Amino acid sequence: MSTETSPAQRERRGGYLLAVLTILWIVTYFFARGFLNDPGPSTAVRVAVALLPIPFFAGALWRFIGFLRAADEFERRIHLEALAVAFPLTMLLLMILALLQRAVTLKFEDWSYAHVWYYLPIFYLGGLALARRRYQ
Amino acid sequence: MRNRLKVLRAERDWSQADLAERIGVSRQAVTAIETGKYDPSLPLALRIGRLFGQPVERIFFDGEDEPAEAERSHLPIAER
Repeated sequence: MSTETSPAQRERRGGYLLAVLTILWIVTYFFARGFLNDPGPSTAVRVAVALLPIPFFAGALWRFIGFLRAADEFERRIHLEALAVAFPLTMLLLMILALLQRAVTLKFEDWSYAHVWYYLPIFYLGGLALARRRYQ
Repeated sequence: MRNRLKVLRAERDWSQADLAERIGVSRQAVTAIETGKYDPSLPLALRIGRLFGQPVERIFFDGEDEPAEAERSHLPIAER
């Protein structure tokens, strides 16, 4: 029996792996957030749990880079344009927050970097939507 | 940049997916190239030229260069 796989099959497997690793990353992140609300466990355990999402994030990133390397030049252009939107928006958000922090006291629960990082994938997905719309 | 990709594809009765598979890109890429929203890289343009057996400048041309002119441009000046 042949174990060879077609490029489409490999792409599909890579897509599944990316989805699974992304879900595991999100699940471990929310688990860690919930767990760290309890001040009971020792510092070593708390640090270990805080670092728990890293391997899943690294795995998802590795698959995403693999997807981009395998993508055609058009798909790469779209992701480049998405990044060109997301990066300056991230800079702007951080700059405004830094200035606002000097002007007023921002609530840690709403505006610390524990929350602001959510905006980065949102900016990237927004950039992707804009780029795809441009080429439709 | 404009191009004759859609005409060349239609002459061969190929779908966008057929052409995409032959030149190794996605169907979305073919759509974007055909509508002039995306200019292919030089290697991809050369691949397209090879596939249709025509020089790149007979398939792709800028706004001022009509297809007929592009057709003639590969001829020696005296024959145009």
